[in-house]
Amino acid sequence: METTKYLSPAWGAIAKAKLLAELDPAKMNGASASMSNVYEGCADGKDRYLFLECSDGALARFEVGEGEAPEAEFRIHGSYDTFASITRGELGSQKALMLGKLRLKGNMAKALRLASLADRVNKVLAGIPTEY
Amino acid sequence: MPYDLTPASPYWIDNRARVRQLQAAMAANGLDVYLASRPRTMSFIMDAFCPWRSYLVVPAKGDPAFFTFVIDATRVADETWLPEDRVRAYAPMGGQDQASAISSFVLEELGLAKGRIGYEDGMSTWTPEGYLSHYEYEAFRAALPGFEFVNSHELVDAMSVIKDAGTIARFREASRQVDEGHRAVREAISGGGWKGLTETVIGGIAALAMRRAGSVSEWNFAGLNEISSGRRSALGACTPPTTKPLAAGEPLMVDLHSMHRLALGDHSHNYLIGPATKAQRRHADNFVDLVSTVLGAWKAGSTPSGLAEVMFSRAEALGCSDFVVPGCEHGIGLFGDEWRIGSAADSPIPYWTDPDHAYAEGEMVICAMQYASPGDGLGFRYENPIVIGAGGVEALSKYPLGIEEV
Repeated sequence: METTKYLSPAWGAIAKAKLLAELDPAKMNGASASMSNVYEGCADGKDRYLFLECSDGALARFEVGEGEAPEAEFRIHGSYDTFASITRGELGSQKALMLGKLRLKGNMAKALRLASLADRVNKVLAGIPTEY
Repeated sequence: MPYDLTPASPYWIDNRARVRQLQAAMAANGLDVYLASRPRTMSFIMDAFCPWRSYLVVPAKGDPAFFTFVIDATRVADETWLPEDRVRAYAPMGGQDQASAISSFVLEELGLAKGRIGYEDGMSTWTPEGYLSHYEYEAFRAALPGFEFVNSHELVDAMSVIKDAGTIARFREASRQVDEGHRAVREAISGGGWKGLTETVIGGIAALAMRRAGSVSEWNFAGLNEISSGRRSALGACTPPTTKPLAAGEPLMVDLHSMHRLALGDHSHNYLIGPATKAQRRHADNFVDLVSTVLGAWKAGSTPSGLAEVMFSRAEALGCSDFVVPGCEHGIGLFGDEWRIGSAADSPIPYWTDPDHAYAEGEMVICAMQYASPGDGLGFRYENPIVIGAGGVEALSKYPLGIEEV
């Protein structure tokens, strides 16, 4: 199976197309929120980000890139290895937060209501054949 | 229940005005942020029931932000007047523990890198007062290294001494609920109905009646109503009920606690379960006399020490001074504000009642008097929220003062 480099521009394009195709706005509870995942210490020493914004339950913006992440309502910081483990389905995002491997910034009360939606996004991304 | 008050409601409290008043006090004291941790401050500012460990961060301008344990945040958001996005949560997750969540708010959302933070430290007689713990203090200091921490609880305490009309109306309603509890207890124990009942059952009978009347909680630190009978009534002030059955020839102390919109009903009524001895009757009549005397003497300008003199002088005249427990009152306010009289922490014994505190018009306390004769296995307690006026006091529970024989 052909794989794509995790967080590369090509991976980002596949991820965006897959999210648009598979995320059903009707099942996203009409959520409007934005999130930046900040990947610290990637293999080349750089930091990368995954930015996602939903408006009324629909994916409005999706980006991956290097350097400073876009401003977002929620920022989740963690190591590349931690995020890769989550995307591979080896580590639950909730457990990663409880272990302190991920650090969430933003309104926790709202984040809790969005947790199941974040899980749906992760499941879609986990379906991309990826080279980590 | 969802926050539903408008200025037309008798229970309306202008919470935004309270925030502005606190912010003015902060400015006068050079504070950039006020970090509250006591339930009394949450009740006073949030106007919502906040039983979990919570924090309120009051900036120099604008709405405060509230942080509570994640499982209760949505309910508090529903019940408070604060905008939903100002009700936050902390959780055992990376970046979301108490110090991390609150320091992020201060540093990033308020945009402050340094300044002075008022916090709440002190000493209390009831355990859940909510002063910042030493561990919390050290954690916040480490998370906010650019800030000077200043103990400032007296700012909120000073604001909450004189009660506004909405607060007093809430206390009146809470007292009406307590009176319903007393009526239910009296009905249950009358005509020999006390036989087979225990102290805990008496507490439950009262609780059900008060809940049916609208009370949401038996709020006090005993976690319930305080009921004692027999020799336990002579043992002291705190009397959580036990499974002891009521018995003929014993006293019964019924101290009920309701809660209405965070205002606290707190009224104690006493019985003698017949047949009463002449000595018991004499003690009972003495106690009723003492309560009437003290209530009659109370008015704006009275002091705790002055009222104690009134009480002991009358007790000497009645020949019962050996049985009078010192003190006539404890403080009261919205949920969490239960003990200290006034607001000053610089009384002769810090954090205890200043004996020379002069009560002001519009101040509320619980008239709290206790009588104990361990030798006779007998004790009584009277409590009632009172509003202090220029010429006297209004006792909010209207349940008739007396010690009945049932």
